[in-house]
Amino acid sequence: MEELRLLLVDDEEHFRQVLAKRLSRRGMAPEQAGSGEECLTLLEKQPMDVVILDVKMPGMDGLEVLRRIKERYEKTEVILLTGYANTQDGVDGIKSGAFDYLSKPVELDHLAGKIKQAHEKILWEADREREAEFREKMEQRMVAAERLASLGTLAAGVAHEINNPLAIINDSVGWMQLLLNKTDMAETPIKGQLEKGLDKIAKSVERAKKITHQLLGFARKGNSVFSEVNLRQLAEEAVQLVQKEASYKEIEFVQEADASLDSIWSDAYQLRQVLINLLTNAIHATGPKGRIKITLQKDGEQAMLSIQDTGQGIPQGDLERIFEPFYSTKPTGEGTGLGLFVTRGIVEKLGGTIEAESRLGEGTAFRIKLPRVHQNHGGLEEDGRTGWLEKVRDMADKPTSPGEKPS
Amino acid sequence: MKREPIKVLLVDDEEDFVEMLSLRLETVGEEVTPAHSGEQCLEVLEGKAIDVVILDVKMPGMDGIETLREIKRRFPAVEVILMTGHGTIESAIQGQALGAFDYLLKPADFNELMEKLEAARKKKVEQNR
Repeated sequence: MEELRLLLVDDEEHFRQVLAKRLSRRGMAPEQAGSGEECLTLLEKQPMDVVILDVKMPGMDGLEVLRRIKERYEKTEVILLTGYANTQDGVDGIKSGAFDYLSKPVELDHLAGKIKQAHEKILWEADREREAEFREKMEQRMVAAERLASLGTLAAGVAHEINNPLAIINDSVGWMQLLLNKTDMAETPIKGQLEKGLDKIAKSVERAKKITHQLLGFARKGNSVFSEVNLRQLAEEAVQLVQKEASYKEIEFVQEADASLDSIWSDAYQLRQVLINLLTNAIHATGPKGRIKITLQKDGEQAMLSIQDTGQGIPQGDLERIFEPFYSTKPTGEGTGLGLFVTRGIVEKLGGTIEAESRLGEGTAFRIKLPRVHQNHGGLEEDGRTGWLEKVRDMADKPTSPGEKPS
Repeated sequence: MKREPIKVLLVDDEEDFVEMLSLRLETVGEEVTPAHSGEQCLEVLEGKAIDVVILDVKMPGMDGIETLREIKRRFPAVEVILMTGHGTIESAIQGQALGAFDYLLKPADFNELMEKLEAARKKKVEQNR
């Protein structure tokens, strides 16, 4: 039980001291106040769980103090001490929100029991509040997930439809560019201007294409193909694929791997995609002659994979948003803002987690944790939560989610 | 030395796409026959010598995968490059299992398309020598 904060308010000093001492002996040492005014002043500085409050006091009487306490400190419970046989005060007090009342002379067992009950009520309500808060948070998260899911479906549909006209624009431009280079066109004075315009169209198609392909990549149906994956080999392959881009900047790759980490059970195709996304980002972030370090470690039931660059780093404010869809810090037209969003989606689908850590001027590290052995169809994370993307897919695919973890 | 044009059969239900890509391929010297459905594609193959078919996967009626199956059954010497509008690799993998030479994502990069066309024709020539 949490520490009980108890306040005893009575104008009769002797009575108060004796009662306080006896309560202390039972492990309920109270703070003390000799008047209603003193009680309220004390509460301002120090919140209390339970107040034992004498009704009959000179100055502000107990019932008035009770009303003010209930007005300002909703959660504080008040036990009234009424004069002998004066039940009317007690009844009035309960109407004003007192937890209960006891008539003097007070029987200690009785009082201690009431204090305990009041305290339990407070704890129970705090629990309920936490639970409600948690439920609300989960609901908000589900709403966000559902919104993202329908956004994903819509976006994929749009992307697919847009690809066809894009292909037509693409080939029309290409054809016109070819025509401009035929000998009979070489003399045209506006050839340069036409070429400029066509070049802009071609570049814009390229840009739109990047977006539609990534959207379709995100909405890809989630049938992961699990097999034994050698992470070391996979990392080497991924490095090979981005090597060319890195060589322009003379970026050096360093790989460090736990000798004990052998193969894991995962989807090689999708993991390769994740590695390529992260390595490409790292190359973009890293200046000439920088270094990108890939670390593979065994961590209990999990494999940890980190990619660390020596780039300019990501400010804290941006770091919180990098996994959001359409969030990009690259110049307009260069980043789609989908790379990390898709990356996180894949990692979570594979039952893993991804996080980023960054220091300005020093670089950024992305850390991925993956189960070494695939746990169950549902893609359970290490703490038992199902990845949100998986959940979204399950909701979209079928009314009930199959393969619940057996209990 | 004049290069031998590649005899391409371009199959897509998007007529504008077929028209523009045909014009582009013809401008670089290839010989293109257009078709707008799987059925039409097979009809053309009946009567004309074709090196490479560029085949859209998603078409109403007979789709690309079905058409591919028929091509490989009846005209095994003809190479097929699948063109898919999906960002999906699945239809491409399925296609390759059925004997497609390669695949491209729409909108395709023209240089990439040319490289694949060239490679497909080379394979066809070598296998039918």
